[in-house]
Amino acid sequence: MYLYLPVALTSINILVPIGLGLAVGLLSGLFGVGGGFLMTPLLIMFGIPSTVAAATDSNQIVAASTSGTYAHWKVGNVDFKMGLYLLLGGFIGGLAGVQGIKVLQAMGNADFVIKMTYVLMLGIVGAYMFVESLMSMRKKKEETPKQAKESKVGAFLKSLPMQTHFEKSGVTHSLLLPVIFGGFVGILAAVMGVGGGFLMVPVMVYILRMPMHVVVGTSLFQILFNCIEVTFLQAYTNHNVDFILAVLLLLGSTVGAQVGAVFGRKLKGEQLKIILAVIVLVVTVKIVFELTMSPSLLVSQGGGH
Amino acid sequence: MVKAHSSRLMALGNAGRWLMVVFIICTALLFSGSASATLTARANHDHITVDFFYHGSTVSVSGVSDPDADLVIKITSPEGHQALRKKGKVAGLLWMNVGNLDYENVPALYFLTATKKPEDILAPGELDKAVIGYPALARHAEVKPVSDEQEKARWFAEFIRYKEASRVYGITSGNINMSEKDGKHTYYTLFQWPYQASPGDYTVTAYAVKGGKIVETAESHVLVEQVGVVKRLADMAKSRGALYGAISILAALGAGFGVGLVFRKGGGSH
Repeated sequence: MYLYLPVALTSINILVPIGLGLAVGLLSGLFGVGGGFLMTPLLIMFGIPSTVAAATDSNQIVAASTSGTYAHWKVGNVDFKMGLYLLLGGFIGGLAGVQGIKVLQAMGNADFVIKMTYVLMLGIVGAYMFVESLMSMRKKKEETPKQAKESKVGAFLKSLPMQTHFEKSGVTHSLLLPVIFGGFVGILAAVMGVGGGFLMVPVMVYILRMPMHVVVGTSLFQILFNCIEVTFLQAYTNHNVDFILAVLLLLGSTVGAQVGAVFGRKLKGEQLKIILAVIVLVVTVKIVFELTMSPSLLVSQGGGH
Repeated sequence: MVKAHSSRLMALGNAGRWLMVVFIICTALLFSGSASATLTARANHDHITVDFFYHGSTVSVSGVSDPDADLVIKITSPEGHQALRKKGKVAGLLWMNVGNLDYENVPALYFLTATKKPEDILAPGELDKAVIGYPALARHAEVKPVSDEQEKARWFAEFIRYKEASRVYGITSGNINMSEKDGKHTYYTLFQWPYQASPGDYTVTAYAVKGGKIVETAESHVLVEQVGVVKRLADMAKSRGALYGAISILAALGAGFGVGLVFRKGGGSH
């Protein structure tokens, strides 16, 4: 059955957004990512204008991440304290990132910088997570886990002021750490025009040393707030949110997020990391492929950055 | 005296009658002369309503035409400005957006059909005058920024490819059916109306062509309009963005929590 979308001004088979929502929601509940890096290109592929695809996706992520956060909160996997500091940093970083885009656009070739940042970030994060989780899976087989040696970086982080204990995550850090790294992700996410879940997850795992299951729940919590802000701004300033498309997507994604959270509990942290790493690497390869293959059309719809 | 006056009146009356007869004959001749060549155009589906279940439509154009004339039928939206991004190779390897292109005097929708290929039946000047065919549309349009005519032609060709892929531009020929009905020569053609065509007012123009020239033109309109909830949502998204955004967010939050509760009740928790 087809439904007409009043803002996207196009008609779509309802099974497409529901199916996409289910698949991306599943990933969201499993890994704590919003899934914008998958959903937005898929929506464009099905004929949704790019600006409407990005704005509407943020609206459906509100639903998926609410569903996912709720599912993870029920089992005690959301560190609200850490999430709030990351959000604070993300908010400041987002503001800086938007200014950064303006500077890039004024310099020209903004698209080149944005695309390159995206590919490099995805590639580095994907490759690092893949190798690291593979190694830790092997180590666990060979020997009983030992406490990781305190590195110089670790010692430096411990010397920062405003040290506080994050009970849920079982870690002690300076308050500055989540704010700074949240800010860093916020800048990159704003420049790349994505939610940044795929960056936030590794920051929490490798820098903040949080347990993987708490990372997923906390990441969804902060994605929820980011996407509320983005949805409102998109609806208010660009009028690009398609409510009907968002409803169709969230019909799938809210259920997918719950199923993902249930599945996630059955998988080990390393397993989750390695699967996410593979997905991120596949997306990286796909983007590199798109960048190097001759496009079928040499012009595309304007608008947006 | 009275007799003379009455005979003058009679003479005047006769002249008036003669004048009237001449007038009637002339009028009849005038109308009968144009009747055989009068071109009409009517779109059967001139008000397309866009509701939730809209998935495109069909628009048939029919009318009366001169049996000796060829026909060209064009459907266009009002001309305007369109901004597109252009892709190019960066560092000789990577394809990405390398800038914007502004197209002026171009319609958002351009459908054309004709009894024969327009360029075979119309002189170049006539094609340009009525903007019939892509080459005429290319000459009519402006593309910025381009350095020369060659570059303009290249990016206009890309514009056409993009529009055809979006199903809002199309040119065909040889699919206008002709028939005789009640002693009149009639024509009929059918356009597939794409759901990608935005709401708006579209003009249907029929051209009768003889000896390389357009001899007659007839016009009709197709109005595509959103109705009901589709229209209310579209209007709200445009004019009351804050409220629309707030409702979208609340609906998403509600759906997220709702599904979460359903799963808990269904035993989804550990």
